[in-house]
Amino acid sequence: MSFRAIETGFDPQRIDDRYSVGVCENLFEGLVTYDYLARPVKLVPLVAEAIPQPEEGGTRYTFRIKPGVLFADDPAFKGQKRELTAGDFEYSIKRFRDPKNRSPYGWLFENKIVGLDELAERAKKAGAFDYEAKVEGLEVRDRYTISFKLKGPDYNFLYVLAMPNVVPVAREVIEMYGADTHAHPVGTGPFILKEWVRASKIVLERNPNHRGYELDTRYADMSDEWDRRAVESIGRKRLPALDRVEIYPIESEQPRFLAFMNREHDILDETPFAFLQQVLGPDGKLLPRLAKQGIRVFREEQPEITYITFNTGPKAEGRDNPVGGYTPDRVALRRAMAMSYDVDSEIEIIRKGQALAAQTPVPPGVVGYDPTFHTDAQAHDVPRAKALLDMFGYVDRNGDGWREQPDGSPLTVELKYQANGEEYRQLAELWVKGLADIGIRSDSQAVIFSDLLKDKKVSNYMVAQSAWIADYPDAQNFLQLLYGPNTGESNEAEFRLPEYDRLYEKSLTFPDGPERNRIYREMDRLVLAYAPWRLGVHRIYNHLQYPWVLGYKKHPILYTNFKWLDIDVAAQKAAMK
Amino acid sequence: MTAYVIRRLWQMIPTILGVILLVFFLFNWVGGDPAMVLAGKISNKDQIENIRRQLGVDQSYAYQLWVFVKQVFTFDFGRSWSTNEEVSHIILTRVGPTLTIMVPCLIIETSIAVGLAIMVAYVRGTLTDRMTMMICTVAMSISFLVYIIFFQWLFGFILGWFPVQGWSESFWKNLFYYAPLPIMLAIFVGLAPELRLYRSFILDEINQDYVRTARAKGVSERKVMMKHVLRNALIPILTNLGILLPGVFVGSFLLEVFFSIPGLGREIITAVNRSDFPVIKAVTVYLAILTMIINLGVDVLYKVVDPRVSFK
Repeated sequence: MSFRAIETGFDPQRIDDRYSVGVCENLFEGLVTYDYLARPVKLVPLVAEAIPQPEEGGTRYTFRIKPGVLFADDPAFKGQKRELTAGDFEYSIKRFRDPKNRSPYGWLFENKIVGLDELAERAKKAGAFDYEAKVEGLEVRDRYTISFKLKGPDYNFLYVLAMPNVVPVAREVIEMYGADTHAHPVGTGPFILKEWVRASKIVLERNPNHRGYELDTRYADMSDEWDRRAVESIGRKRLPALDRVEIYPIESEQPRFLAFMNREHDILDETPFAFLQQVLGPDGKLLPRLAKQGIRVFREEQPEITYITFNTGPKAEGRDNPVGGYTPDRVALRRAMAMSYDVDSEIEIIRKGQALAAQTPVPPGVVGYDPTFHTDAQAHDVPRAKALLDMFGYVDRNGDGWREQPDGSPLTVELKYQANGEEYRQLAELWVKGLADIGIRSDSQAVIFSDLLKDKKVSNYMVAQSAWIADYPDAQNFLQLLYGPNTGESNEAEFRLPEYDRLYEKSLTFPDGPERNRIYREMDRLVLAYAPWRLGVHRIYNHLQYPWVLGYKKHPILYTNFKWLDIDVAAQKAAMK
Repeated sequence: MTAYVIRRLWQMIPTILGVILLVFFLFNWVGGDPAMVLAGKISNKDQIENIRRQLGVDQSYAYQLWVFVKQVFTFDFGRSWSTNEEVSHIILTRVGPTLTIMVPCLIIETSIAVGLAIMVAYVRGTLTDRMTMMICTVAMSISFLVYIIFFQWLFGFILGWFPVQGWSESFWKNLFYYAPLPIMLAIFVGLAPELRLYRSFILDEINQDYVRTARAKGVSERKVMMKHVLRNALIPILTNLGILLPGVFVGSFLLEVFFSIPGLGREIITAVNRSDFPVIKAVTVYLAILTMIINLGVDVLYKVVDPRVSFK
């Protein structure tokens, strides 16, 4: 199969790109993971013996690790078998906060574990991280027991522990390979990294030390064809069934597509939009010529959202920000701009029908998503947008065809978007056109990715394109993007609404349930009312496989599924003739 | 000649310093902030400052420039900011695939272009000459990207003569299995402009008095073309090859991206996208040095090709 971007490396605590993380899913194992078939997603133990209940009001989680779980063999272990212990988790979580590691997921454990922030602070001053130091919140009770003490209640902490980065590495391995840990991933996972030609080929082979899995069929929905096929084809097998997995990073869409159609690859994840018309008919179903070959398509609504961020702060690029603030006229301006955007055209033309219009900041597939929630608060409605602007004094005073601000000063809305992508440019054009339709002068500027990130962090923008993919499947991962204290970090809109912040803080004190969902709905409504975002879409991806790929089902959070797959080699060989 | 070569080598030092200054200021003024890319999805000022400190981009410009100069003269560019891989290792491992494509391409393309140029120059003004030039003009008018997309689809997918993409560990498998389609493409695209250029070089010589004299003396046409005309046309051809040669070492990023070839061209694009300054620095300086050395080599070759050339 192919990845559509180049990987970075495989040191789990030092990466955040989904392709490198996707490989790590197969090389390492965390305490918990997601059941392969359960939808909505469900946590299950992986190297932990069981999923613990939160203790002390959601501030303590204690795990017992399965004895006898072995790391893959490596010279760092000097010929000995190396068993996984609780200390490996303590060490690995400390690595997230070691400044030397520049961990992109360090924020997961910031202001989270009792005593860990203080240790990280000391490391910053001393210039070295003291891995021997005891941390109160990382309590290793015995060889197989670790207890996490949190600074405050967090009912999503188990989701954090299920992330493919939050996995144990062996200290001997890290110390032996020093700066080259990306090339020497040694975990307890079902595969080992056999060969790696950077940016060209990643080969995984079955880990001979692995204890093996069996497919848990308890959560299978036998009315679902994918679940049924998975249960029938791999339900009784010892997993992983694959001996070898070859992954090719291919950035260009055509070779990625043709390599699959040429049967050089068995799986094509995320079929490129440009080739969808060669795969799907107007009814969204697989074309007959592909169906005749037995090719299957898995349609996945990704747990992600695209959106346009309005800078709600007082300043943009050092000047007064005409779209910021919470006065009725500024809110009306943002809402009118949101209504000017034709999201249906985005879906039909730019995304070729492969997206759902977002109704709230929370995408499908995550806990807290409400499929019944529909709103017309941001529906494309030019007359309504114009009426709203007229009502709040945004009218054309000098007859130049463009509206001015209520105080008569000129109004130009500036959009920043990512430079390297045709899709981003098309979206920017659609945005500018929408604003022109309601008489708002606008300007769009393409900037390189790193500059866009920086500009959004330091209020150096007025309006910007954005997107967020779920780190873990809970609405909180999306709603935190508008939490006031997160300004300067993840709250790029600089949205500071006390009512929203109060609700967010309250939601943290509840486990998943109707009460927390009710709070989430209230927060959604505040977002729609104050419009710090113009909600975009939840993208839909189509994943293709040949019929000899057995057990396929795409997980919304985990990127790969190799450990659950098998290949019908006889069918594959017959088809190749 | 030794004095000439030594003088030229000395002259390289200010050129390298100019390249260093240019790359340094371009990166700092136009390039993005690498700390932002490395910081991940959620980061605060502290984390960004920590990354900037580790990368050394929090230091004064003067200090950063001094580090760059030291790196150039010690050939140690450290590690990639993005992947932590040693920059020297990146260059050494990526240049092989690039050369596997570009060296055969240059050799075959030049041989065909020179051969055809002699032929069409010899029959200048005829229908063959005009048709060839017309085909060249049409071929040059089409984008390289269109050729890649069409050739890959036709020869890789529809006809199945070549793999659509890929690369292996074996040099021979790469050369005879994965490389032929990209090589063919590069030749196809490069041939038209080369042929037109070389034809004009040869036409310049054909019209010289010494050619007329040779013919008047009864020298055979074959000898006139191959010994007299080609030898004198070789100097501008060599100059052109000197211009093309550095490109051989950095490859074609379009070919490498479309055919998944882990070469230097693709690496450069990745480095630029990731604001991976150590890789950008190393490749730029390496290319500048290579260009200067190749230019020097070409100048020395002038003397071999034409003994009348003297070094001053």
